[in-house]
Amino acid sequence: MPSRLRSGVGLLAAAAVAASLAGCGSDDSSTDAAGSDSTSGGSSTEGASDSGVSQVAITMANQGGADTCTLDHDSAQAGPVTFTVTNQSATGLTEVELLQDQKILGEKESLAPGLPSVEFTVTLGGGDYQIYCPGGDPELVPFTVTGAAATEPVGDTQQALQDGATDYATYVDDQVASMVRGAQGLQAAAESGDLPAAQNAYANARIYYERIESDVDGFVLDGFPPTDNHGNLDYLIDMRASNLDPDVGWHGFHAVERDLFGRQAITGSTKQLAAELTDNVTKLSTLAKTLTYKPEDLANGAAGLLEEVQANKISGEEEEFSHIDLVDFAGNVEGAQQSFAYLKPGLGQIDGTLTDTIEQRFDDVTAMLDTYRDPNELGGYQRYTPELKKSEANQLSQTVQALQDSLSRLAEKVATA
Amino acid sequence: MAAPDSGLSRRRLLGGAGAGVAVGAAAGFGVGRWTDGGTASAAPTGGLDAVDLNSSTDFYTGAHQSGIDTPQQRYCVFMTFDLTASTAQELQVLLARWSAAIAQCMAGEPVGSVAPDRAGAVAVDTGEALDLGPASLTVTVGLGPGVFDERLGLASRKPKLLADLPALPSDQLRPELSGGDLSVQACADDPQVAYHAVRDLARMGRGVVNTRWVVLGFGRASAGPGQSTPRNLMGFKDGTRNIKESADLDEFVWVEDDVDWMNGGGTYQVARKIRMDIEIWDADDVADQQRIFARFKEDGAPLTGNHEFDTPDFSATDDTGQPVIDPTSHDAHAAHEHNNGIRIFRRGYNFTDGINEVGQLDAGLMFVAYMNDPDHFIQLQTRLGRSDALNEYIAHIGSGIFAVPPAPKKGSYLAQGLF
Repeated sequence: MPSRLRSGVGLLAAAAVAASLAGCGSDDSSTDAAGSDSTSGGSSTEGASDSGVSQVAITMANQGGADTCTLDHDSAQAGPVTFTVTNQSATGLTEVELLQDQKILGEKESLAPGLPSVEFTVTLGGGDYQIYCPGGDPELVPFTVTGAAATEPVGDTQQALQDGATDYATYVDDQVASMVRGAQGLQAAAESGDLPAAQNAYANARIYYERIESDVDGFVLDGFPPTDNHGNLDYLIDMRASNLDPDVGWHGFHAVERDLFGRQAITGSTKQLAAELTDNVTKLSTLAKTLTYKPEDLANGAAGLLEEVQANKISGEEEEFSHIDLVDFAGNVEGAQQSFAYLKPGLGQIDGTLTDTIEQRFDDVTAMLDTYRDPNELGGYQRYTPELKKSEANQLSQTVQALQDSLSRLAEKVATA
Repeated sequence: MAAPDSGLSRRRLLGGAGAGVAVGAAAGFGVGRWTDGGTASAAPTGGLDAVDLNSSTDFYTGAHQSGIDTPQQRYCVFMTFDLTASTAQELQVLLARWSAAIAQCMAGEPVGSVAPDRAGAVAVDTGEALDLGPASLTVTVGLGPGVFDERLGLASRKPKLLADLPALPSDQLRPELSGGDLSVQACADDPQVAYHAVRDLARMGRGVVNTRWVVLGFGRASAGPGQSTPRNLMGFKDGTRNIKESADLDEFVWVEDDVDWMNGGGTYQVARKIRMDIEIWDADDVADQQRIFARFKEDGAPLTGNHEFDTPDFSATDDTGQPVIDPTSHDAHAAHEHNNGIRIFRRGYNFTDGINEVGQLDAGLMFVAYMNDPDHFIQLQTRLGRSDALNEYIAHIGSGIFAVPPAPKKGSYLAQGLF
């Protein structure tokens, strides 16, 4: 569809924007590749060697209505290969990847017409590769490397990711164990009838569940159908007033929270709820030990925790009575950051840029959260009062959204390993 | 209220009398002797501006960004953003990516795959405009004063006349509806197409820009070249005297001697979210409403004329010696005759935000205007804010000012010369 609109603007381009970047982008012609290498060979020659590094230019352009990715050389000798990517005029293309057997070996993102050329260098063994331009016509362009096959077996990345996922199970087990201790502490404080102590114990017990809830919120106790909340452990542990099932009633953390912070009282019912909570998180800890994780589970789990932040913490729904939403918020973020950290060694090999972006955005969120720390408050954070929500929710939400958007791309990358 | 005698000022009683006397020569005539206005009546005919959802505009063609002198579409989403970036390069990449995405959207194409093949992938394009057609979408991007503060090191590249608007008479601005470092005006004949563009640009911008305020406009409230004059929510034709000729656009809209990256087709954009107290307005009698606008409600003719495009005669008096056009009327204040010839190009839309806290309809005018000197707006609004009779029924609650760079050429991007 765009083709009929774009014909005939080439002459105008000569008038050019006054100060264009790095000499690229203002030329409409697809025959004058703007890549920085100086090779002039035809399309079936090998990439020119510069100090032992082969140079390949990838040019993105809109030609005859189609966005295309064109290589100036479709092969190179084994060894380091530098790909220089220039988007001349392909408005539908923003990304290029070097693939072998579906695995990403190198890539560049955020490409757009007019931006300076970017490059990435990878050391390649002999074999068949593909340049993948999502949205291009065609999307896949073959690329061949001649010479000895790679000495490094492919699969390192996958192993690194799986190692991370395996180790992550230890983290979950630790959190669950802490959660059981936290619930026991809450139960003991409730039994003692000491309201401030119970409130404090409540705040200290919350964070463990929040760190891992996306991993452990799917358990149904034996003998219950999945639709029956009597057997839904997440329901029994963490349900809020807004989503109660009348047949089951209110159980778990937030029922205790209502008593301790809303009613400001410990009754026999409170003690019973606290004891039941200990029982249920103990069941959960047993079940959680049976979990095994694939790398994409960590990616999806991290994204899920941030969804929790957006849906329930920033809205202030989670801790309706205690207003310790920022404690839960921090727990969700810490949990997501742990998932990411376990994936990072492998992910960095797949997509260093995305890895860096996610890391930076975690730093942004953490720095923002730090401004709300208050050691004198329950759980170590300011209470998320309606006033604080009014002034801060926008900033909190948008900072988390920036992280969530970049994290949402993690699962796809991990799956290519 | 000092409305002119409604019997005398009704146009229906005036038509035909004293035909042939030109408006310019009619000064001092009583209202009852008013005439056909003559040459100024070249109204575009046909109230039904056709809509073709397959129609499209090319992002890269022409010197000016589209969405300014482009025929006005039926719907518009106006959103501003705050920069969170700490480097100019982040803004640069964003403007380049936005440019490419805008070009895609304006051509009716998605900004990327709606359903990527790869396992676990999230969509690149959010998908809600798939197959809806281009719907004459235009997306116009502006840069606010904040782009040129100390954060990004771009202070030396600031457009000459770009500065926050001063406090103006009658301002009731709300911070959450004002300001912004970037503006995006996406207009289309299908509101979903316009919204999709803004949504996907916002998504692309996360981590670099935060959303600040947004207005969803409908029912264009200004007429561009060749368009019939639409009505604002007060029921009056709006934009009768708007700039329509390209010579006037050259004189009043496009900058000539600004910073290099603005020259060759740039302009300034002033946005004002104007609340209308429409229930109160609706309870005002029509004669008074006509006094306030100095126009007849049905056909838009000035109170001193017979046709919409007749030139108002601000010096005309009625039989009792009272001015036919109230000097405090909106038209009198806004007229270039009373503002040293200053004109701005308006491209506004009606909006509604639902129902306000006291149960009244929350609605108004999203005023967007383009000009080569923001001081022109400042002068006009200073005058209007002081004593416009319309102020009883409106309030300026949101405000923003932006420098709008020229259109990029194919292969380049918006404001490329800035970096």
